[in-house]
Amino acid sequence: MNITVPTNLWDEDTDAVITSWLVSDGAQVNEGDLIAEIMVEKIQHEIRSPSTGSIKISQPAEAVVSKGSVIGEIS
Amino acid sequence: MDLLPTSEQKLWMYEHMLISRYFEGAMETIYMEGKTPVFNMAEGPIPGEMHLSNGQEPSAVGVCAHLKPTDIVTATHRPHHQAIAKGVDLKKMAAEIFGKKTGLSGGRGGHMHIFDADVNFACSGIIAQGMGPAVGAALSRKMQGIDGVAVAFLGEGAVNQGAFHESLNLASVWKLPVLFVVEDNDWGISVSKEKSTAVEHNAIRAQAYNMPGRFIANNDPIALFDVAGEAIAAARRGEGPTLIELETTRLAGHFMGDAEGYRPEGELDRLRAKDPIIVMKNLLISENILTEESAAAVSDKAQGLVDEAIAFARESDYPEPAEALEKVFV
Amino acid sequence: MYLMENERKLTIARAMAEATAQEMRLDEKVFVMGEDIGQLGGVYGNTRGLIEEFGEERVRDTPISETAFIGAAVGAAQDGMRPVVELMFVDFYGVCMDAIYNLMAKNIYFSGGNFKVPMVLMSSVGGGYSDGGQHSQCLYGTFAHLPGMKVVCPSNAYDAKGLMTQAIREDNPVVYLYHKGLQGMGWLGTEAGANVHTPEDAYTIPFGQANVVREGTDVTIVGLGMGVHDALKAADKLAEAGTSAEVIDLRTLVPLDRDTVFNSVKKTGRLIVVDEDYQSFGVSGEIITTVVERDHSVLRSTPARVAYPDIPIPFSRPMERFCLPNPDKIVTAFNQMKDN
Repeated sequence: MNITVPTNLWDEDTDAVITSWLVSDGAQVNEGDLIAEIMVEKIQHEIRSPSTGSIKISQPAEAVVSKGSVIGEIS
Repeated sequence: MDLLPTSEQKLWMYEHMLISRYFEGAMETIYMEGKTPVFNMAEGPIPGEMHLSNGQEPSAVGVCAHLKPTDIVTATHRPHHQAIAKGVDLKKMAAEIFGKKTGLSGGRGGHMHIFDADVNFACSGIIAQGMGPAVGAALSRKMQGIDGVAVAFLGEGAVNQGAFHESLNLASVWKLPVLFVVEDNDWGISVSKEKSTAVEHNAIRAQAYNMPGRFIANNDPIALFDVAGEAIAAARRGEGPTLIELETTRLAGHFMGDAEGYRPEGELDRLRAKDPIIVMKNLLISENILTEESAAAVSDKAQGLVDEAIAFARESDYPEPAEALEKVFV
Repeated sequence: MYLMENERKLTIARAMAEATAQEMRLDEKVFVMGEDIGQLGGVYGNTRGLIEEFGEERVRDTPISETAFIGAAVGAAQDGMRPVVELMFVDFYGVCMDAIYNLMAKNIYFSGGNFKVPMVLMSSVGGGYSDGGQHSQCLYGTFAHLPGMKVVCPSNAYDAKGLMTQAIREDNPVVYLYHKGLQGMGWLGTEAGANVHTPEDAYTIPFGQANVVREGTDVTIVGLGMGVHDALKAADKLAEAGTSAEVIDLRTLVPLDRDTVFNSVKKTGRLIVVDEDYQSFGVSGEIITTVVERDHSVLRSTPARVAYPDIPIPFSRPMERFCLPNPDKIVTAFNQMKDN
């Protein structure tokens, strides 16, 4: 299952940046685990795992992403 | 009482409010250069923190309209409006905020440390710490027998610092020619005055130090002009200090990038509806001091000054890195 | 051990908040005070989530009155509470130092040990983002110099959590300095190396134990906070040139783990100290002295320091960058070493 930047975390259509991945690539995660922080302007938002499984990170820390961007995958 | 500004003074006040607002407008835009989509404070032509004074212009012009270049102002971490009203060189101030060699301090100070010896303007980024130096400058003038009034601007958050109380007492005991001007914008970063301060109006604290305390509502530069004029005249006559509190508005965040999640719903809209720039313009038009046409000319002139200052700052060179090691001592 | 993969990571900000929350759940005497630490969650994120869980009674936004609330923390601590107080920037210590060094640091001694002062004073340090000379200092040496307070500074989230838990459980006052550039706040840049595996269960890191974060044989590089990351990057560069650098993260300044420093230098024979605090009369001099006064003959080469020049911190970017320690300066310091 894709890890997607939620479209409802912030209002404007501004881009965001992944400030930190809080898991390593390949780690086992549970649905709902905090896995990354992204920042829009100066505000940080949490990204949680959409399902349980092994995580594959496709967008590294410091990558610029938008609402709906796929930043990784859980398999 | 009823020391009303002349038409000329009102126009001066409006012009300087506009210069200040346009300057902050430029700051707001340029600050974000290099900070999108990744907001990193270290990046862009203006790095670091940026505290905008939008909404607080009445305080600066209502007081500084009475000051000569030889009078003294100490300012805060939010100093641009006060600096502009005191006559700090706009180009050199802009260059300082860009960290350029041509800046007031050659780039050593930055936005929170605006110092201009030509007009006796100094700053501290530490809350309430401009007050002691203002008291001392007033003492110096008194001891030397030289004319001069010192004004310490502060925010309402600063009244809960020891330096506030100690400075008021000292200025009163020694009857020094100093004004303490509290810009009450209701917020100390995210903490409201209601939650942090035991009294509703800080002007009342003057009673504890046996000096006049004056509260001015509604961010009104004309009423402030009246009260400040009286206080400054009293100070020049040797009658000692005054504490003035102006109810003002912070139309921007505490600093650039502040999400302002702590503001009650609709507060900003209510404040913007009372924008002092618009109120002042309407006043001048209603008093036939300005027409829409002449107002446009005033606006163009203010914008022109700001554009010129920003262009100067942009075109100026950065200091050589090793210049950092100079000016520690004179 | 905290470099394990496949495990949850935290930022230092989250690690500090998690440790504080866990101790607050265990001990209702633990409470938090400071400016903007409530709804805002701390300017640097280290109290995020606390007010939602523990409410305004135990998570108290204060007026801008550091003398009062740090002094109050001393009194509350002596009366059996365990306050965790925040001084937003370490630079602000100027307005409240009496409460810190004349009260917090001395009341245990003055009372002959009859009073405990179990409080944590946490404060942000560090520059590199043009915040000017009143918002960018480290002042490690200032606090470490004054007796009576323990002083710690984590370089990563694992240490941040363990040191915070230890600090809250201590019956002594602890100054907990955290570097803004390591908080994971994004808007101050993000040092990825600070975000490491951090176990969920509470644990402590005993004070006075430096950590050898990289083993080597040719030179010992000692640092704390951001300096550790500069040292690790320098060690990578030195390795490319065939030099094996050992990197020591001091983690705590008071008490100072002199044995680990000395034993490392005994092995490598060379010492470089990295310190973002002012050079003179500070941490770098103390570390060098630690080796020299125990046995100077272990040094094959004159020790070097990469520290902040003795000037107020300039605002302008090129000047500030010129002054800050960085990996290249460390490499240069090594290359300029002349063996005896």
